[in-house]
Amino acid sequence: MVIEEDKKKISLLIEDLTFLEDYARDLFSFSPLPICFISLLGVILEVNPAFEKISKYGFNEIIGEITDKLFKKEEIELLTKDTLDKGFIEGREIIFFPKKGKEIIIQIFTKTRKDEKGKAVGYFLSFIDLTKIKKTEEELKNSQIALLNILEDTENAREIAEEERNKTREIIKSLTDGLLVFDKENYLALMNPQAEKFLMVEKEELIGRKIADFSKFEQLKDLADLIGTEIKENLFRQELKLTENFILEISTVPLIASKRKIGALVVLHDISREKIIERMKTEFVSISAHQLRTPLSAIKWTLKMMLDGDLGEITTEQREFLNKTYRSNERMIILINDLLSVTRIEEGRYLHTLTLNDIVPILQFVINSYAGEAKKRQIKLELEKTKEKVPKLLLDVEKLKLAFQNLIDNALKYTPAKGKVIIGVDCNNKEVVISVKDNGVGIPKEQQKRIFSKFFRGTNVIKMETDGSGLGLFITKNIIESHGGRIWFESEVGKGTTFYFAMPIKKAIKRRLKKA
Amino acid sequence: MEKEILTKEIAKKLMEIKGEVRGFAFKDDAEFILKEKGEEGLKKLEDELARVGYPIEYKKIKLMNFYPIGMQILNLLAIKKVFNFDDNKFREMGAFESKLPLAVRFFMRYFVSFKTMAKQTSKMWKKYYTAGDLQVSTYNEAERYAILRLKNFRLHPLHCRVLEGYFPNSAKMVVRRPVTCKETKCLFLGNAYHEFLLKW
Repeated sequence: MVIEEDKKKISLLIEDLTFLEDYARDLFSFSPLPICFISLLGVILEVNPAFEKISKYGFNEIIGEITDKLFKKEEIELLTKDTLDKGFIEGREIIFFPKKGKEIIIQIFTKTRKDEKGKAVGYFLSFIDLTKIKKTEEELKNSQIALLNILEDTENAREIAEEERNKTREIIKSLTDGLLVFDKENYLALMNPQAEKFLMVEKEELIGRKIADFSKFEQLKDLADLIGTEIKENLFRQELKLTENFILEISTVPLIASKRKIGALVVLHDISREKIIERMKTEFVSISAHQLRTPLSAIKWTLKMMLDGDLGEITTEQREFLNKTYRSNERMIILINDLLSVTRIEEGRYLHTLTLNDIVPILQFVINSYAGEAKKRQIKLELEKTKEKVPKLLLDVEKLKLAFQNLIDNALKYTPAKGKVIIGVDCNNKEVVISVKDNGVGIPKEQQKRIFSKFFRGTNVIKMETDGSGLGLFITKNIIESHGGRIWFESEVGKGTTFYFAMPIKKAIKRRLKKA
Repeated sequence: MEKEILTKEIAKKLMEIKGEVRGFAFKDDAEFILKEKGEEGLKKLEDELARVGYPIEYKKIKLMNFYPIGMQILNLLAIKKVFNFDDNKFREMGAFESKLPLAVRFFMRYFVSFKTMAKQTSKMWKKYYTAGDLQVSTYNEAERYAILRLKNFRLHPLHCRVLEGYFPNSAKMVVRRPVTCKETKCLFLGNAYHEFLLKW
């Protein structure tokens, strides 16, 4: 009976033991951490699957082997000693040598195993692979270094940018031109001291305001009108008279960065001095011309009297000399008249009386006056009238005659014998267009831009005609433009030139109505 | 005609051998077959055992239980028959089993020195078998050899080969060197006991 009971107890014990062994085995196998058991002799007695995986040794290969196979001898010996002394080690870093591949840095944990008498029989060893952590640590370290470098670079770049900004600010401050910088929303962002001085306003009153707000300041109204609320792009050297003796030249430039408009720059350039000098020069020329005209007229009439025999008989030789002198005096009078015209143009007091007139008879009158000259030069000079009815225009007749004379005079002078000069009249509902077409020498292409400048004469025509002041076309252009018209030309060297001028109909009517 | 090494009659006789063996001895054999031949090989082995009237399902064997000692030799003969293992393969099987966790866990407390292990040899044997007695008869550390003597244990020569694999690997864990083992005396060769010479 007792034996039966003992057998039952033993059976129960065996069952529990088996269960516990299974449990220990499952737990050992399950652990994702590599675990091994090392005897006091430094022999590996047991490893779990995670250990097999990381060491790349099968359990059959590693059980019974000494630890030197996996660790540095001195490191594992010290670890064993410390473990047995202390009972455990936590988190020591050592090197691990798997069967294949590179050595691994691991963080070791150990715990002594004792028998039933409390005597150490070996120790458990587990570890964490620090490869990834070390790699991450290294990467973090590198990132930190990179970040510090970037920060340093950024700081340097900031310092450079600051320095550049200060430099630019100083340049802007010390510029003799006034500068207004608007942002992309057209708010004033920057204004230099010179602009404050020019516009007689403190920058604090304008910064952050739109151009439309400028009109609140009386002295800025004209500037606001000129620039426009949206800031006109590429406004170039537009004059703005702030007072009688204070004139600014206004230019606008769009500010572009990375192909995007980021704002606009308005440059205020003081041209008062130039204007004063120009005016003084004009006055000088005007006075000089007036002073010269009287004696020249006296010379002219004296010569005329001598040539007409009013002062007695003259010889053929004397007549020849007197004729040459008379022609030279005439050229001088023309030049003086031209200079006077130029000064009047520059003083803005050229046109006198604008009246409603039919332009065709005026043209015909001038053509007729050149008929003799044309015949002398063997040039066909004709007026080709349009079939349309040409409306009347507001004209300063004398000035228009002068302009037209200049064009015909040039055409005749620079067209060879047997050539032709054809005058055309055309009109549309906006303007009357007059053309003066010749088949003369033409204007060299490279000189065409300067054709309406003062004192300009083409290199090819100087050789043909030494006469000429180079003021004719300048005066003509100003006459046409002061009528609200426009002038232009087409020319080809050796083939001829056609000058066009267009006189506005609508404007003429408007002006007339306004006048009425 | 080759002599049949395992029949129902032979199996029956083997089961009459007195003594018992712990379940993990079977499990360890099965682990080796699983490693060498996979699940399919293990199934073949189970089929062979069933054929001779002793069906064993390895998964159901309880590690700590005691089973008739004849079961182990029945197991070895079935392995021999099914897989035709030679002596070396049985030695390899012994070596493999000496490294399996349970054996190590049982004996790790003795693996502190050869001397300690030698003192506990008989105790260690009895953790496996209720029959037989294993003793270290000679131990010479200077000349690096030892003699193990196994008495009163008449199982089968195949088991001697398994022990020739098992003993040196266990010894290696305390001498920290490769160990060789040879059975120098055997009950089946007319000697009074089995004797194994270990050298390192």
